[in-house]
Amino acid sequence: MIDNFALLLSHALLALTAWRLVRRPDLDRDAGVEQPRAWGRRRDA
Amino acid sequence: MHDLFFVGFLLGLVILGFRRPFLFVLGYVYVDIVSPQRLSYYLLNAVPVSLIFFVLAVGGWLVKDDKSGTRLSFRQVVLILLLAWCGYTTLHADFPYAALAKWAWVWKALVFAIFLPFTLRTRLRIEGLLLFMVLSASSIIVVGGIKTMVSGGGYGSLNLGLDDNSGLYEGSIISTVAIAIIPTILFLARHGTLYPLDWKVKLYTAALVFACLLIPVGTEARTGLICIGVAAVLLMRDMKRRLLYMAGVGLALAVAVPLLPQSYTTRMHTIQGYQGDQSASTRIAVWQWTWAYVQDHPFGGGFNAYLQNRLTIKLTETPGGTAPVNDVAHDQARAYHSAYFEMLGEQGFLGLGLWAVLHLAGLVRMEMLRRRFRRTTAPEEEWIAPLATALQSGHIIYLVGALFVGIAFQPFIYMLVAAEIGLDSYLRRVRPVRAHAPMIACRPDARQDMLGIRRCVAE
Repeated sequence: MIDNFALLLSHALLALTAWRLVRRPDLDRDAGVEQPRAWGRRRDA
Repeated sequence: MHDLFFVGFLLGLVILGFRRPFLFVLGYVYVDIVSPQRLSYYLLNAVPVSLIFFVLAVGGWLVKDDKSGTRLSFRQVVLILLLAWCGYTTLHADFPYAALAKWAWVWKALVFAIFLPFTLRTRLRIEGLLLFMVLSASSIIVVGGIKTMVSGGGYGSLNLGLDDNSGLYEGSIISTVAIAIIPTILFLARHGTLYPLDWKVKLYTAALVFACLLIPVGTEARTGLICIGVAAVLLMRDMKRRLLYMAGVGLALAVAVPLLPQSYTTRMHTIQGYQGDQSASTRIAVWQWTWAYVQDHPFGGGFNAYLQNRLTIKLTETPGGTAPVNDVAHDQARAYHSAYFEMLGEQGFLGLGLWAVLHLAGLVRMEMLRRRFRRTTAPEEEWIAPLATALQSGHIIYLVGALFVGIAFQPFIYMLVAAEIGLDSYLRRVRPVRAHAPMIACRPDARQDMLGIRRCVAE
């Protein structure tokens, strides 16, 4: 009973966290931060 | 039902991972901490879930992630050297089969710790990793917390949902880890962007911290009590109202101590009278044995070298002790009960040195970040110093707990170390230290000396 409650609570919060992360555009690229250029790529590319 | 629940959850993570590959990394973190395959009865226990998520995480990073500006940091190099050294000692171990059994999980923890910082490219990813670590650990901590509230727990008798006493499910280990993550939990509540601070977040944070504090009570691990003391002092460092905080801690202690189970207070008294307590005296005997062992084997004996020890322990009577007067006990194959001696006995002076450099460098770097960003006025930088403080505090609590628990290779801690490296590398990338402007300006027409260096004159 206690085991199942704790598993359910933690997994519900993990699932919600995963869902919210996926929906955020700044997960893969910080908003407003200039990313360093890759090697060999021109500044205006 | 149990099994279908885990399968559904893991499939959900895989599906989300194909949209955002960083979710594969978080999936591996979850699998490593919670071990759903070991909680499962028939569906997952035959599937290499951990390996699948590791392959997906590395594959996702290789194929889809931005890798510009990625550098190998000093601590990642130390981790690589430690991994190579552990591999060498495993090949020359005193107990080759026992050493291979430990190597089988240690190399994964080290390889993941080397890989993880490469993926931590944004602030949100660092936050997501810490949230996943905390919430995954909460699946064990909440069980322990509630069971302690209901039954009071007991040394070696608190069932955390899995009986086999491995990974985070072992009493002393979860006691140290539960206290070590309290600063991170408080950071996530205050500075997290995924869950803005409202009454629900405040309530859950308070309940989870309370559950964390209950774990050392429920497991009756003495190390946990020492860790709580260290955490209380560390949390005071950046407290604005210290007197109020100290009064609050005093009040909480006054209320909590009478409510603690009798068996707990009896066991905690043995911290002082260790000479009369067999468990504590055996530890000291093991440490003496290890020190003597490395004099002849400076490169260590490989993983699980402790299996060869034979100990004779003299116990003297102390008030509250568990031994009769001047009793002699014999023991053999006693585990190290200290990460420091674990490293020394298994990996020798070189292994201990690498391990110490890794952790000390982490503490120093977090201190530098703390000081650099402590007085920042830029709103987008306000989270940095508190995070460096939280990670450093957790790290110190771990290093204190590790004095008495053999957790030199605990994967959870290596994730914390990787989060520190990730934060450091992230800041080097997006907020490099700007060189100070010269105090004396040079005029464009300043004369050059023989070496071509312009002579600058204060104007």
